[in-house]
Amino acid sequence: MSAQTYKKFESAGSSDLPDKMTIYQDCMNTFNESPVSAKRCRLLISRLLRLLSSGETFPQTEATALFFSISKLFQHQNDSLRQVVYLAIKELSGISEDVLMATSSIMKDVQNGSDIVKPNAIRALTYVLDESTAFSAERLLKNAVVSKNQSVSSAALCTAYNLLPISEVTIKRFSNEAQEAIMEVKTAPMSARSEFVSKAPHITQYHALGLVYELKRNDKMALMKLIQQCSDGFVLKNQFARMELMKIVNDLIHRDTQLFAQFQQLFNVWLQDRSSLVSLETAKTITTFAIAHPRLVSPDLFATTVNVLRKLMNEFNCGAKLGAVKVVNKMAMVSPEKVAVCNPELESLLSMSNKELATFAITTLLKTSNEDNISNLIGRITEFVHKVSDDFKITVIEAIRTLSLKFPKEWKVIIKFLIDVLKNSEGAAKFKSSVVEAIIDIVAFVPQSKELALESLCDFIEDCEYNEVLVRVLHLLGKEGPSTSNPSLYVRHIFNRVVLENSIIRSAAVIALSKFALTKNDPTLKDSIVSLLNRISNDTDDEVRDRATISLKLLGSEHSFAKDLVQSKYYYDLNSLESKLTTYISTNEDSFKTPFDVSQIRKFSEDEMKAIELKHKQDRVFKSTDNDESGNRDAIAPATVSTNKRKDNDTYKGADLHEHEQDLLESKYADELSGMEEFKEFGKLINSSKVTPLTESEAEFVVRAVKHVFKDNIVLQFNITNTLVDVALDNVSVVCSAEDPENSRLEELFTLPIERLAPAGESACYVAFKKSTDTVMKGFLNTLHFTTRELNPDTHEPFEDDEGFQDEYEIDSLFLNAGDYIKSSFVGNFEATFDQLPNEEVAVYNIQEDLSLQEVIDKLVLNTSCLPLSNTQFAPTDSSSHVLKLFGKSALMGTKVALVIKMIKSSKGVALKAQCRTEDATLCADIVNNLM
Amino acid sequence: MGNYFSSMFDRLWGANRELRILILGLDGAGKTTILYRLQIGEVVTTKPTIGFNVETLNYKNLKLNVWDLGGQTSIRPYWRCYYADTAAVIFVVDSTDRDRMATAAKELHLMLQEEELQDAALLVFANKQDQPGALSASDVSKELNLVELKDRSWSIVASSAIRGEGITEGLDWLIDVIKEEQM
Ligand SMILES: Nc1nc2c(ncn2[C@@H]2O[C@H](COP(=O)(O)OP(=O)(O)O)[C@@H](O)[C@H]2O)c(=O)[nH]1
Ligand SMILES: [Mg+2]
Repeated sequence: MSAQTYKKFESAGSSDLPDKMTIYQDCMNTFNESPVSAKRCRLLISRLLRLLSSGETFPQTEATALFFSISKLFQHQNDSLRQVVYLAIKELSGISEDVLMATSSIMKDVQNGSDIVKPNAIRALTYVLDESTAFSAERLLKNAVVSKNQSVSSAALCTAYNLLPISEVTIKRFSNEAQEAIMEVKTAPMSARSEFVSKAPHITQYHALGLVYELKRNDKMALMKLIQQCSDGFVLKNQFARMELMKIVNDLIHRDTQLFAQFQQLFNVWLQDRSSLVSLETAKTITTFAIAHPRLVSPDLFATTVNVLRKLMNEFNCGAKLGAVKVVNKMAMVSPEKVAVCNPELESLLSMSNKELATFAITTLLKTSNEDNISNLIGRITEFVHKVSDDFKITVIEAIRTLSLKFPKEWKVIIKFLIDVLKNSEGAAKFKSSVVEAIIDIVAFVPQSKELALESLCDFIEDCEYNEVLVRVLHLLGKEGPSTSNPSLYVRHIFNRVVLENSIIRSAAVIALSKFALTKNDPTLKDSIVSLLNRISNDTDDEVRDRATISLKLLGSEHSFAKDLVQSKYYYDLNSLESKLTTYISTNEDSFKTPFDVSQIRKFSEDEMKAIELKHKQDRVFKSTDNDESGNRDAIAPATVSTNKRKDNDTYKGADLHEHEQDLLESKYADELSGMEEFKEFGKLINSSKVTPLTESEAEFVVRAVKHVFKDNIVLQFNITNTLVDVALDNVSVVCSAEDPENSRLEELFTLPIERLAPAGESACYVAFKKSTDTVMKGFLNTLHFTTRELNPDTHEPFEDDEGFQDEYEIDSLFLNAGDYIKSSFVGNFEATFDQLPNEEVAVYNIQEDLSLQEVIDKLVLNTSCLPLSNTQFAPTDSSSHVLKLFGKSALMGTKVALVIKMIKSSKGVALKAQCRTEDATLCADIVNNLM
Repeated sequence: MGNYFSSMFDRLWGANRELRILILGLDGAGKTTILYRLQIGEVVTTKPTIGFNVETLNYKNLKLNVWDLGGQTSIRPYWRCYYADTAAVIFVVDSTDRDRMATAAKELHLMLQEEELQDAALLVFANKQDQPGALSASDVSKELNLVELKDRSWSIVASSAIRGEGITEGLDWLIDVIKEEQM
C-alpha cells in the first residue's frame, strides 16, 4: 500500500480520534490564513497533537508541510499559541524534514520571549539544531544556564545535555557555567504557575550535575573534587541532585574499587537522608558494590544498609517500597542469607493491593526462603496467583522455575504447585505455556520428578485448549516417556489426542508416538505403535498422513541412522548450522547438486546440551540483576536522544562475560578451522577452549589464543590485532616453544603465518602439533615474529624502497591443561554418579595468593571446563568454607569426570582438597594435579 | 482623535487587512538589519539568519507582516514555502558585493517566475551605499537586468540600513503601489 493513502478509522478503538486527513487539511488552511486566529490555531494544534500522541503519524512530505505552516505561526505574538507551537515542533521534528527553518525564530524567543515561552523555546533548540548550527546558539544558551530564573536555567541545562551527542565541541565549553549552576541557588519565577514549579525546588542542581558529569566523565580527579564539594554540608538542596551524586559515586567506585572506603562517611550520612530517594540510591550503591566486592564492605555498613532497606519497605510511599524490594531482590540472588532478615517486611508486602509490589515481594521471598519454609511459602503463593493477572502470574512462575534449580530436593512441592496452577488457574496461552516450560525444566534437571510430572501433564492435555501448549507437552512426552517405567501409559494418552484433536496436534502426536517404538524396557510396544501408525496413515490430513508414513518407513529400516532420526540423540550447534547454511546458499555453484554436508556442523549430546542450557539459565538469573540498571544514566534526558545509547552501561555490570558472544565466537572459530585445507587430515575438531588473552587489551599488538584439540593433533590459534595506525605487519607468526622441550610429547608440524596484517586489522596465525598420547599437558612460551612496513599515508601501501625490519614481541605463556580435554556436561544426580565412578585421585592445594573463595571457584570452573552443579558455583558469603561440585566428560573418549572440591579460606590463604573420580583411569590424575 | 481616524481608515481599506511582505536577497545583504530598522528604528547586531524572522509593524495605518528569510545557499530553496499571499517582495542587494551580483540577479529572476508571486510588487534596495566603492542604484539595476521585467511594478532605491537612508522612501513607494493595485 502506498504511503499516500489514508484510512479513516483505521483501528478499532480509535474511532473517536479525529480523521487524519481532515486535520491535515484544516491545519494547512487555518495556519496559512491572514490574519492568524490564535484561538482556532491553538485548538487545531491540540487536535493534531492528540492524533500524534495516539500513535498516528504522517508521511514525510505531509509532516514537512505541516511543520512549515506551523512555523508560520511565529508571526503571532501570543504566549498560549506559542506554547502549543513548541509542542507541535517537538512532535513533528522527528518526522518532518528541514526543521532547521524554525531556528532563528526560536532563538528570538530565547532572547526576548516572555518568561513562559522562554523555557519552551530553549528546549525546542534541541530538535532544530545540528552539528553545524549548534555553535550559533552557544552564547544564548550559556546566558540561559546562568539565568537566575530556575525554569530557564533548567531548560538550558537539559538542552545542553541533549545537544552533547549532537555537537560535543560546543557543549564541551559549558562546563564552567554548568558548575556554577550546581552551586548557585536559583529562584522559581513568580507567576500563576509558581505553585507547580515549587514542587521541584532547586531542580537546576540536578540538571547541572547531570551535565557536568557527562562533561567530566573521564576525568576521575575532577569527579572526585565535584563529589567533595557537593557532599559538603547542605550544598545539594535538591533530592534528585543528591541521588544523581550518589550515582556518580557508584560509577567511580566501580571503576576504582579502592575508592569505596573514602566515601564511607558520605554513605553513612546519606543512608539516613530525609529523602527516601537518596537513602534508597545510597543503599542500592552499597549493595551493588557489596555483590561484586563483598570483602570491601564492612559488616557494620552492610547491616545499616539492610536496616535502611527494611525501613524503606515500611514507608507509606509505594515508590520507596518498590525500590527497596528491588534492591533486596538483587541481593537475594547472590547472598539470600544476608537479606533473610527482611523476610517479615517482605511478607507484609504480600497483602498489598499493589500487585506489582506484591509480586516482587514474592519473587524475593522465593530467593531468601530455605528448605524449611519453602513449602509454607508456596502455599501462600498459590492463593495469590489465582487472584492476579497473567503478567504477574508469569513473573511468579518464572521465579518458581529458577527456584527448582536451587532446591532440587523440593521438586515435589514445586511440581504440585505448578500442576495446580496449570489446571485451576484461569489464564491465556502465554501463561499456560510458561507453566509448562517450568515443568519441562524440572523434568530436565531433576530426573526423579519425571514420572509425576509426565502423568500430571497427561491429565492436563485431556482438557487443554491451546495448540502450542499441547504440542510442547506431546513433544516432552515423546522425549521422556519411552524411558519411564510404564511407557504404555503415555501411549494411550497420546493416541487419544490422535483420535480427538485437530490436525496440528495430531501431527505432533504422531511424532511423539513413533518415539515409543524405540523403547528399550518394553519391546512389545513396537508392534502396537506400528499398528497405530498404520491406522493413522489413513488420516484425512496430508501432514498427519505424511508423518505417519515416514515414521513407519524409518522404524522399518535396518539402519541405526534411521532410528536416530526418530529419537535424536544429538543436537546441532545452531549458530554453526545457520552460518554454514548461509554460506551454502550464497556460494551455490551447481544449483544445489552437491548436497549440504551436515557432518561439518558441531553436535552436542543430550547432556552437553543440558549443560549449556543450565549455564544459560543460571547466567540469566544473575545477569537479570543488571538489566534494570542499564539506561539509568539517561535519567535526566528527555526522550529526545534515546537513539544515542550510552556506551557506559557496562560500567554497572560486574564481570559480564558476554556469554552469548563468547558462544558465537567459539562456533565461528571452529567453523573457520574446519573449513581450512591444512587441517583436513586432522579429522574432526573435538574440543575448543575459551578465548585466552595473551596481552593487555591496550597493547600495540593484541593477541588472544584459542586451543583446539583433535584426535592426534593440537592446533593453537593466535588472533592478532595490529593497533598501530600507519604500520603494516608482514609475515606474522607466533613461535611457541615448549617449556621443557626434552620430554615433550608434542611435535610441531607447521605454522600458518599471516601474510600481511594491515593497521587496525585482525587475523589469525595457527601453529599445529602432533601429540603422541591422548592428553598432553604443556606450557608454551610465545613470541610474536614479524616484519614492520611503514605505510605511505596516501596510498596505504608500503613505501617501495622500504625493506621493513624484523622484530619480535613477547607475549604471555599459554597452557594446555586437562580442562582442554573436557567438555562440561550435566548429570541429574551428582552424588550417585560420583559414588559409582571407579577411579579416584585426591590432591591438596594451598593457595597463598589473596584470593576470595569466589575467585578460586571461578578459576576452578574455568580450568577444568566442567559444569558446576547444585548451584555450588557461588561462594557463600557467610562462611569460610565451601564445597564445589563439578561434572564433565572427556572430549576424546566421552567418559565421565566428576570432582568434589572442598575449600577453606583462612588468614593464610585458601586450602583445597580435590577428589576426582573418573571412568577412565589416565585422565584422573591429570585433572586433579592441574587444577590451579 | 488620531485613533478615531485611523480606525476609520482601517474600515475604508478593508478591515484589519494585513499585508504580507517578504524581504529576500543573498546572505549578508542587510535584510535583517532593514527589518529591525523598520520595526524599532535602530541598528541591531545580527547573526546569519537560520530560517526566518517575522515581525508585524504598523506603517502609515497599515499592518505589515514582514518576513525576512535567510539568504544562505542552504536556505534559499525554502523561500518558495513562504510565497503564498505575498503583496510585495523587497529584494536587498549588497551594492559592494560585485562578485555576487550575477548570483543575486539569477536568484531574483528565478523567484519572480513563480506563479504565486505574479501579482507582487518589487522593491529593490541597492544597500550599503555608505560604503566606498558601492555600485550606484542604476548600476545595480543594470546588473540585475531590471528593465527586462514586464507586467510588474518595480522600483530600485539606493539605501543604507546603517544610516537609515532610503528605507522609508522605498517603503513609501511600495505602499502606494500596493494601495493602488491591490486594494
Ligand atoms: N556598511 C553597511 N553595512 C550594512 C548595511 N546593512 C547591513 N549591513 C551589515 O551587513 C551585515 C549583514 O547584515 P544582515 O542584516 O545580517 O544581512 P542579511 O543576511 O541579509 O540578513 C551586518 O554586519 C550588517 O551590520 C549598510 O547599509 N551598510
Ligand atoms: Mg538575516
